[in-house]
Amino acid sequence: MKQTYLLLIFLFPYFLAAQDNQGFMQFKLASNLVDKADWIATVGDSIQIETLKFYISNVQFFQNDSCVDTLDKQYILVDFESLATQKIALTRKNNKAFNRIKFNLGIDSLTNVSGAFGGDLDPTTGMYWTWQSGYINFKLEGYSPSCPARHHFFQFHIGGYQYPYYSLQTIELEVSNPNDIIIELELEKLLEGINLGTDYEIMSPNQSAMDFAKQLKTAFRTIP
Amino acid sequence: MKFKIIIATLSFFWMAFYSLEFYALEYPDYFPEPAYDFNKNPLNKDKIELGRALFYDPILSKDGMISCASCHSPYNAFAHTDHDLSHGIDDQIGTRNAPALFNLAWQSSFMWDGAINHLDIQALAPISHPKEMNESLANVVAKLQKTEHYPSLFAKAFGEPKITGEYILKALSQFQLTLVSADAKYDQMKRGELEFSEQEQKGYALFLENCNSCHSEPLFSNYSFANNGLPIDTTLNDFGKGEISGKETDKMLFKVPSLRNLSYTFPYMHDGRFKKLSQVLNHYTSGIVQSPNLAKELAAPMNLSSNDKVDLIAFLLTLNDRNFVFDPRHQFPKELLITNKQN
Repeated sequence: MKQTYLLLIFLFPYFLAAQDNQGFMQFKLASNLVDKADWIATVGDSIQIETLKFYISNVQFFQNDSCVDTLDKQYILVDFESLATQKIALTRKNNKAFNRIKFNLGIDSLTNVSGAFGGDLDPTTGMYWTWQSGYINFKLEGYSPSCPARHHFFQFHIGGYQYPYYSLQTIELEVSNPNDIIIELELEKLLEGINLGTDYEIMSPNQSAMDFAKQLKTAFRTIP
Repeated sequence: MKFKIIIATLSFFWMAFYSLEFYALEYPDYFPEPAYDFNKNPLNKDKIELGRALFYDPILSKDGMISCASCHSPYNAFAHTDHDLSHGIDDQIGTRNAPALFNLAWQSSFMWDGAINHLDIQALAPISHPKEMNESLANVVAKLQKTEHYPSLFAKAFGEPKITGEYILKALSQFQLTLVSADAKYDQMKRGELEFSEQEQKGYALFLENCNSCHSEPLFSNYSFANNGLPIDTTLNDFGKGEISGKETDKMLFKVPSLRNLSYTFPYMHDGRFKKLSQVLNHYTSGIVQSPNLAKELAAPMNLSSNDKVDLIAFLLTLNDRNFVFDPRHQFPKELLITNKQN
């Protein structure tokens, strides 16, 4: 045990030093939403966002077809309530050039069956279901006049870690500026296929959640 | 850089004081290997004690009135005697009978319907349920931070002075993992410390023939899910595992409970519909409702004469573990909670 501590003393500063910055990746909304209190017009609808948060995990950096590096932090909660979480420092293992990134939108099934975790995965983040096990990969809540629910409130809690409702999506995007990757989420594109007059609540793993997740996958783009 | 070295050195000293009092779970050699992965949450005396304090502390509930022990009382082998359905915040009644808590390290899914896939995450369900404790885990963290003694208990247990949802859940899990029931008369017989009476022996043989395929010894459950032929209670319309999975084949499947401590844990079944053991046996001999999901073990009727039933019950009573139920290590931690009352 003593040896381990000694080792830690010597190695710990190096761990910290290794975390020097190598650029950022930022998540933004594609629409002209100044803050979340604004209404945005979608296809034949208008919505106001109250909550928008999601997990990304296992970020990999590719140069053409080969994976050259991975992000140190494995699970990241992006919360549009907090600018700090939208801007992710690219703390990597090496400095190799890349022109493509790949990441999971959501939490893998192994993590979903392995108990409680801390940090971004802590169940206090509100991104873990309580009535049954499993992470919520993507949460979108807000208001729309066309939503018939109480207070016109719609809520999409997209999760599920078991087939056939394993909702995790893998997203691959071209990158032109590796030091400052800007990833936009096009809410309009996401909500294109959803009629808030009839579909305004998804709160468990099911086919609707799968359909939503597949649509979500297409709603991310990088800015050249 | 200098700053980082200072942090590193400080964290070393912190770790050196961090409790390393490991605790090995004790269980008999005729028990199988636990399903719980102790490498990921190694038992430690300070974490167990913290978990015990949390388990008995109503601070976990929204109004500060309901603790885990409200429905999982130590004297009922951590079940809730006398209530068919569990009884939570604001005197609200749930839809299921609070299950007994013991030998949890041997189980890999939780709740009557198996909705929870890991013990570490289980406590989240009753804490958040609007009819149980109706509180958010984030708010529990905030409330605990304001107490006088919890910050230091968490620091002692987890080696850093902060309270997180993960730590609360893991501490609760640790305490519950120590709830091992393995000292009933049955266990004493297994260890050769005493012999069964002739009647208990007869009952044991009947048990092996009729019950052991699902309520398998030595845990007295295989912890699978089964439809045991209960007619649906139309006031609840509870379809068990089927409500979680949405599968027709899971309809009316409920977790097979352990038969240990059965005198302490009445009433019986997921909805507490039977108050007496004799009613349970009568269900298996003459009350089974045939359905496509009925457990195959129950397809043929169970034939038990009234004498057989008496013998079987004599055996079942040997599964009561009084030493477990009255074990002071599992009881209310007076010394911890008296200091908490000011909050």
